[in-house]
Amino acid sequence: MPDADPLLEVRDLHVHFHTDAGLFRAVDGISFSVPRGKTLGIVGESGCGKSVTSLAIMRLLAQPPARYAGGDILFEGKSLLKLSEAEMRKLRGGKIGMIFQEPMTSLNPVYTIADQIIESLRAHGMTDRARARARAIEMLKMVGLPSPEKRADDFPHQLSGGQRQRVMIALALANDPQLLIADEPTTALDVTIQAQILALMRDLSARTGASVVLITHDLGVVAETCDEVVVMYAGNVVERAPVASLFEAPQHPYTIGLMAAVPRIDTTSDRLETIPGSVPPPYMLIPGCKFASRCPLADGRCTAERPPLREIAPSHFVACWQAPIEEATR
Amino acid sequence: MTDAATATPAMTAPPQRLPWWRRLLRDRAALMALVVLVLIFAAAALAPWLAPYDPYASSRKVMLPPAWAARGSMDFLLGTDPQGRDILSRLLYGTRLTLLIGLSSILVGGLLGSFLGLLAAFYARLDPWIMRLSDVLLSLPAILLGLALVAALGQGIMPVVLALVVSTIPDCARIARGIAMGIMKQEFIEAGRALGLPDRQLFTRYLLRNAISSILIFLSLRFGQLILIAASLSFLGLGARPPVAELGMMAAQGRDFFLFAPHIAVIPSVLILIIVLAANIAGDALRDVLDPRLQT
Repeated sequence: MPDADPLLEVRDLHVHFHTDAGLFRAVDGISFSVPRGKTLGIVGESGCGKSVTSLAIMRLLAQPPARYAGGDILFEGKSLLKLSEAEMRKLRGGKIGMIFQEPMTSLNPVYTIADQIIESLRAHGMTDRARARARAIEMLKMVGLPSPEKRADDFPHQLSGGQRQRVMIALALANDPQLLIADEPTTALDVTIQAQILALMRDLSARTGASVVLITHDLGVVAETCDEVVVMYAGNVVERAPVASLFEAPQHPYTIGLMAAVPRIDTTSDRLETIPGSVPPPYMLIPGCKFASRCPLADGRCTAERPPLREIAPSHFVACWQAPIEEATR
Repeated sequence: MTDAATATPAMTAPPQRLPWWRRLLRDRAALMALVVLVLIFAAAALAPWLAPYDPYASSRKVMLPPAWAARGSMDFLLGTDPQGRDILSRLLYGTRLTLLIGLSSILVGGLLGSFLGLLAAFYARLDPWIMRLSDVLLSLPAILLGLALVAALGQGIMPVVLALVVSTIPDCARIARGIAMGIMKQEFIEAGRALGLPDRQLFTRYLLRNAISSILIFLSLRFGQLILIAASLSFLGLGARPPVAELGMMAAQGRDFFLFAPHIAVIPSVLILIIVLAANIAGDALRDVLDPRLQT
């Protein structure tokens, strides 16, 4: 499946944080690529480095304390890490749009929503105010904000959470981005609104041909929206696979644990499955697999040597010495 | 597409918002404070035309009580001071000078300090430098600095203003930095960066515009404080040089006669109180109407 010309390619990226407590390897050598027009999901629990990855792609991490310690990020074949700040600024909000987790606080509270979209359009070259306003209203209509002409002059605090997230999407898509990065776009919303927002994102990315990187901890969201999935654990990619293949036959013990932990409506079990233990402290240097201490299948090799990503089925990569794992042991 | 929000009619028909000045005028206390402030500022500005007498000319009627007292005279509405000068005239001129000192120090010190504070919060790299500078300035007490400046530059208004500016800068810088740090942590700053907005725009439209109302409140409170400090400096004999009228100095001069003629000290003191109180109330009310986060 290696795409000859992916829109975004992350190659062996390392991002470190220098803190008083020590060196924190938030992203510890991850690789993935996003083909044009496709949606990639990045899943993992809190603190696994998925948000850092998205901010790293946007180059929005404050340096220091963050540092790009290795690897590269290629967008349309060009390294983002080599761009000047001015060139990067052009990409942000231009060819790369971003949606944040908290719609309640992600809009500037002192300007109307139309003003904010116009501001972004003007920052990316649409200098004519009247045209920018027309475009802003068109965007608000496209994301399904009711009576956009009227609501355009509302302040963010006059909108509900779902409406604000729609406005965030309008903002992110205003300049026709090639890539949309959505960092937990539905986590702060209630379930019915979640479904609407996901449907909207899917619909719009199909219509505009934009690729999407969807960061989430919700496997249901992944199953519903993504073409390919990257599973992260403690700063590493542990599994990467097309969505059908991942849900049908998860190969990494962590992914298997994650899926078992999702409550299901079709079983009668009273107890929820959990993964024993906890994520190793971020400052600890672990030579082997970071999941080994919690893994039911771990042996001596797992604690001694870091497993590389191997292709064990077509397009299905897993970083585990024990893979492929038979159905019976799951 | 049907949105969940269309189900709640309150959201689709927001109440019409009044312009901010109309909302300000609907607040009784704010209206009072504003009227008082405007009157005092107007009276101070028009002192040469309003004052019934020359504020420096003595008459033979010494320590006359106000017109409403038993021995008062309608010729001198607020009475006279120990030198027989008309207190009303001196009050008008004195207010003018006091307000001028307060305003110029708050403008210069407040602008500089707030700008430094916002800068420190916006560029983490500059933060330690700006804050150490502010620590240095903070270690100089205003009164002591005033004394030193008067010793170096001679008695007058300039050293007092300078001392007030120097003491305002670090306070404002700290407050502005604190306010700005809170704003910088909010997600919309990062969202603004993710939109590719240039720093200048983020600084003015995202940071400054969100911080300004809180900073204004602080400045209006600080304005009252500065007038108090200015009055204290004159009270100590540091600011205006007699016979120039200044509210603090007038209160100081009345102190010696407090038992026989309390009005000489009380009238300027009450005026200081009114100015400070009105500035604080007006500042508070301004925040209420200017801050969109406080509106529903």
